[in-house]
Amino acid sequence: MTVLRFDNVSKRYSSGHEALSEVSFEVAPGEMLFVTGHSGAGKSTLLKLIHLSERPSRGAVLFGERNLLKVGGRRIALHRREIGVVFQDHRLLADRSVADNVALPLLLRGLRRPDIGRRVRMTLEKVGLGARASALPGELSAGEQQRVGIARAIIGEPRLLVADEPTGNLDPTLSAEIMTLFQSLPERGTSVLVASHDLALVKRMKKRVLVLNQGRLVDDIAPEDLAE
Amino acid sequence: MSSFPTPESSHGEAPSRLEASASRDDDLAVESAVQSRLGVWFDHHLYSLVASVGRLLSKPWAALLTIGVMAVALALPLGLWAALSNIERFAGEVQQSRQISLFLKPEIKLERARALAEELRARPEIGAIELRTPEQGLADLREKSGLGDSLSAIEGNPLPSLLLVTPKGDELALAESLGSLAETDVVQHDAGWRQRLDGWLRFGIRLAWLLAAMLGLGALLVVGNTVRLDIQSRREEIGVLQLLGATDGFIRRPFLYLGACYGLAAGAVALALLTAADRTLREPLTALATSYGSHFELQGFDLPQALAILAGAAALGWLGAGFVTGHYLRQSRSGQG
Repeated sequence: MTVLRFDNVSKRYSSGHEALSEVSFEVAPGEMLFVTGHSGAGKSTLLKLIHLSERPSRGAVLFGERNLLKVGGRRIALHRREIGVVFQDHRLLADRSVADNVALPLLLRGLRRPDIGRRVRMTLEKVGLGARASALPGELSAGEQQRVGIARAIIGEPRLLVADEPTGNLDPTLSAEIMTLFQSLPERGTSVLVASHDLALVKRMKKRVLVLNQGRLVDDIAPEDLAE
Repeated sequence: MSSFPTPESSHGEAPSRLEASASRDDDLAVESAVQSRLGVWFDHHLYSLVASVGRLLSKPWAALLTIGVMAVALALPLGLWAALSNIERFAGEVQQSRQISLFLKPEIKLERARALAEELRARPEIGAIELRTPEQGLADLREKSGLGDSLSAIEGNPLPSLLLVTPKGDELALAESLGSLAETDVVQHDAGWRQRLDGWLRFGIRLAWLLAAMLGLGALLVVGNTVRLDIQSRREEIGVLQLLGATDGFIRRPFLYLGACYGLAAGAVALALLTAADRTLREPLTALATSYGSHFELQGFDLPQALAILAGAAALGWLGAGFVTGHYLRQSRSGQG
């Protein structure tokens, strides 16, 4: 049983540029892995195919038993509720408080207000922002904003969390803090897929690494091989 | 295809997963966390309404300008409509007086006038006939002219008998026929004037509808453009909400409420403007009508009409916002292939 499976997936944009070419891999439940490669290697496109911002030109993407090619219309929104997304630029709603930002996925799922409030408080405690619940994103540092983004992504206990360059704008200390947070998620059953071009960081984490180059999956490195 | 975790479609995977999370972690324990479909519907609508009102209040001057432009666009056709309703009501009174006034010669005695009235009543082209005696005529004149004392000074009654004839068929032919009677002194029949008034009224009503359509479209475009600008300034937010799993309905709803709020407020302002105009014009117009011996009074909007206007204005705002938001969402979806 896999959480995510790419089966010979290719993606060619209307401009003719082939961003991914016959990429195949699987992600197991509770597994944390990295996707790395140079800028333009296809990392972001791969993540877009997972949360259905793009469709593959060939091949199949399976999320559990679900073939994402067959997901359309309103079901796209429902699919996205099972995936947590963390962006390099946080993408927080500037006019809403930290708590309101983090609450959004639960509001969309239709949880009761008191339950939402309780879960928001607990999740913010978990990411170390319990005291900043009523602050606006603009009042937070970059590291704190990223932690809010992560809290928003994990509050719904997603089956899969995808993060696109989550430490891109952070210093090494903050990057390490964020990675420690990510590392705790697989223990709770959430698989984590992190796209990063920071090879030093990827090596330090000692997790499975998928290496993309010009849209092709050129290596799938197991943690033990990485250690060597 | 596996089921999707949403309380809006089912109570399947999401609650079980959330509840599973509770078993993994006691501090996140949630008992029956997901609401009923009605609860979710209510919660989401409340969220959208609060968000919309918040947006209106966050930019009060911009909101006031939009509401002002919309209100004027609504007030113009509504004002014309109200004016025409009053003219129609006035014209109705005039139409009722399709009667032909047949003034008999002064020497015709009352008995002959009564007999003539009976003879005419039997004619098929006459619907009704009423005899106004010289005494009734003098009493009317005394009451309506305010010349009671002066009239008392006149010796005798100089007024002739009058037959008020309501035609059944061709008025012109009947008037001509009545004019040829030996007892007839004068026939008064304003057919031409009424036909012209009818023509002006038909033209006015058509013009009012045309203006209502054009200005209504204008109001629709004003809301549409305001919501479009709001959408443009919140593109990023919409994108984030979409990635978090917001449905089109969830994204569209605050904008629909925003449009409805604009419409409702504009409708209220338009009503206030027209009420002020009504108050300003009522007194001098009533005085003018009275001077012509008419009891005509300007009529504004009653409560059901006012409520219908408010509902219509809100619906117009909702519709304008719906068009623009729908268009934006269709465009944003096209990228998903």
